[in-house]
Amino acid sequence: MNTVLAGRGLTKKYGSTTALDGVDVEVRERDSLAVMGPSGSGKSTLLHTLAGIIRPDGGTVLLRGQAIDGLSENRLSTLRRKRFGFVFQFGQLLPELPAEENVALPLMLEGMPRRQAVRQARRWFAPLGLDGLEHRRPGQLSGGQAQRVAIARALVVEPDVVFADEPTGALDQATSTEVVRLLTSVAREQGAALVMVTHDADVAAHCDRILQVRDGRISHHSQYTVA
Amino acid sequence: MRSPVLSLTWHLARSSGRRGLQSQLLAAGAAAAGAFVLLVMLAAGLGSGARADRTAWRTPEPARHATAVQALATTYVRHEPVTVVNLARLPDRRATPPPPGLSAFPKQGEVYVSPALAELLHKLPAGQLADRFPKVTTYGTIGAAGLASPDELVAVVGRSPGDPAVSRAAGDSGMYDMYQAARAEVSGFQGSKQSLFTYTDQSTALLGVALLVMPVAVLAAAAGRLGAARREARLAALRLAGATPRQIIGMTAAEAAAVGAAGALAGAALYAALLPALAEIPYGVGSWYTGQLWVGLPWFAAVVLAVTALITVSAVSMLRQVATSPLGVAQQADPRRTRVIRLVVFVAVALYVFSQSQGGGLSTRQVVGLLLLFYGAFWLFGPWVVDRLGRIAGRFARRPATLLAARRLSDDPRGAWRTVSGLVLAGFAAGFFAVSMVGTDGSHFRDQVAVVTSNAAEARHATAEARTLLREAGVTATVTTMKEDDYDSLTGGSPGLVARVLGGSERIDAAVTALAPLGTSRMPYTQDYATAGDRSAVDRFAEVSTATLALSFLVATASAGLTAAAGVLDRRRVYGLLRLAGTPLKVLDRARVRETVLPLVVLAGGTTAIGVCASYRLNKVFGASLDLTGALQLAACTALGALAMFAAIGCSRPLLRRVTADPAPTAD
Repeated sequence: MNTVLAGRGLTKKYGSTTALDGVDVEVRERDSLAVMGPSGSGKSTLLHTLAGIIRPDGGTVLLRGQAIDGLSENRLSTLRRKRFGFVFQFGQLLPELPAEENVALPLMLEGMPRRQAVRQARRWFAPLGLDGLEHRRPGQLSGGQAQRVAIARALVVEPDVVFADEPTGALDQATSTEVVRLLTSVAREQGAALVMVTHDADVAAHCDRILQVRDGRISHHSQYTVA
Repeated sequence: MRSPVLSLTWHLARSSGRRGLQSQLLAAGAAAAGAFVLLVMLAAGLGSGARADRTAWRTPEPARHATAVQALATTYVRHEPVTVVNLARLPDRRATPPPPGLSAFPKQGEVYVSPALAELLHKLPAGQLADRFPKVTTYGTIGAAGLASPDELVAVVGRSPGDPAVSRAAGDSGMYDMYQAARAEVSGFQGSKQSLFTYTDQSTALLGVALLVMPVAVLAAAAGRLGAARREARLAALRLAGATPRQIIGMTAAEAAAVGAAGALAGAALYAALLPALAEIPYGVGSWYTGQLWVGLPWFAAVVLAVTALITVSAVSMLRQVATSPLGVAQQADPRRTRVIRLVVFVAVALYVFSQSQGGGLSTRQVVGLLLLFYGAFWLFGPWVVDRLGRIAGRFARRPATLLAARRLSDDPRGAWRTVSGLVLAGFAAGFFAVSMVGTDGSHFRDQVAVVTSNAAEARHATAEARTLLREAGVTATVTTMKEDDYDSLTGGSPGLVARVLGGSERIDAAVTALAPLGTSRMPYTQDYATAGDRSAVDRFAEVSTATLALSFLVATASAGLTAAAGVLDRRRVYGLLRLAGTPLKVLDRARVRETVLPLVVLAGGTTAIGVCASYRLNKVFGASLDLTGALQLAACTALGALAMFAAIGCSRPLLRRVTADPAPTAD
């Protein structure tokens, strides 16, 4: 499989604190990578650097072989919108938009007419077990349902990579398992790679590989078979 | 055990960091602005009443055991009124007390003048003003006790009881004499009729106060909402730590009250400090004596308390929603729908106001009452319109920014209404006042001077004499004798003469002065005298409209800016995450602006039209016509207000940029 995203020698410092210390990482198509580590180890900084949200102090990030860390803020923003999808712990859905419009929003931002965008968004509801919830607003959904809507929104633009930052952090064990199973399987079906930061070993076990980060360095790199 | 609420509030407020301090300073600033505006308008309302009372002694009140004759006359110089009080002691009667502002009752031939008139007498040639009064070597001075304003032009002239100026004919028998000429035998100066030039001041100023109350309330409410996100986060943390909802509300109330009181006191102190400067702002008869604008300690305290209470109630009501239903508020599980009852109430009130104003004949108090009632109903109606507007716009929105704006409107119509309500209500004020320039037309008497005589024979004699007097004064004029039934002339159906003068304002003043010695009971007068009644009301409306418009737009703009900033802070997490996922900042910003523009265009346009309509009704009460030139002022004011509003919203753009630039946004 081809490498879709790579970080080479990534370093990042916040004052005297080293968040990333020469990290090398590679993500291939349909690959799912869990990033684990204790609080303050640098795992979120690594995710944000790979997603072009934070510029590294040293090293480079390559998306399909092209360096992205030199791009302007506007181009990075466009890149994140078109080529990446994001799932966060909570709060990424607009509370005033119904679920289908939340999912359709990235398509509308790309200029797709509203009707078509909503129609396309609705296609994601059945595979993610959200049938009948199209008109519900985020406040009327359970935590697990809201995260599945967020997954739909991340995938609707058919991204190269989905970044998930503690996507199950606010969910119970059973719902976590269900959400992460859906996230990994649907991302794979869509041909998108997945980079997921998590504290939960059970959640990480659903990914193809696990990176352990400690003090800004990769301390362990293991490969799992999906459970 | 001592309650920990106050000490904990103080500790948390001190440690709330730069952002906490910023929102506290903004809230205090809003409270200061609100208190300042209210006190200034209240001062104008109360002060204009107090100073109108100071003019009451000039209109004579008949007395049973009279000791003197008093005749009020009004003459004009440079289009400004000069109030002349002629006094004559009746023979063999006991002494009459001196009029207010004078140390003694004026003797025959003595002339007392106000400082402003003394200055004018010194400045203008005698042939334009001084020769209208008896010749004296020195003028006495009327003190502040007898004057409404330092700028007032007033003269008190001592006459003999047989002087025509105090004769029975000097009373208000002419068509234009009402409130400008009067004569009675008096025993003192306890008159209760305020002068023509001051009696509408208070009611017009109070109308301005009534129109400003709502925008100030909105500003205070916006100030109370500032830092809501920070407080919600604090609530969550403190609830987890075991604090009771009552303690949380107590802490919020204490903090908001402290910030509100500090701000309101600062605004009130600013008002007190600026009193001498405020006194220089002319209203009605001119600038003020500083003491007239002091509202008194009870009002001072009441405004500070009211503004503080408004901010506290706003902050607590915001928090109460969180305390009673934290999950519902945090996730906004239910859209804050508005019910159709709001429309019903509004329609009912509008119909009632319409029916009450239909017949005319309303007192100012009733008009203010109806206005406040309408305001209240509109306050209920606004969110309903915003809700419907949001739903309609949401149905047809094509672009993400419009869709976001529309959904925001129907999701929280009350919040959206709060943002625009200030300007919408200011639009009502603008519409109301801009066309309230009651039309008056006396232009066909321009360049004319009239002298009223007792009968036709006297008129013919006076005409010949007038020609001579004018010629001697170097005034070119055509003098015509007027008949008793000529109601369309400047003499208004009284016998007399009219001089048509060539050469403009100075020549008119010279003609009035030249004709003063004609010996008739009443002074010569001009078009200014004939239109004074209407003009006094029009001028007051114009002055109050300008002040109300300026202040309400200022207040509305401030509250829009504050609400916009509070909105960005409240929604910082979702904005931050959207931006992080690649949503362009301009989409978020456009959505924010459209969220304001949509209701603003519809509602401000609507209220401006309603304001015009309400003003039309009021004008009917006054029995006057609409001044269409006011429409231009209205358009300019509305455009200016809208621009100021956008500028105020634009001010929170850097804040939006800053909160969305943070890659890991937090609750505060």
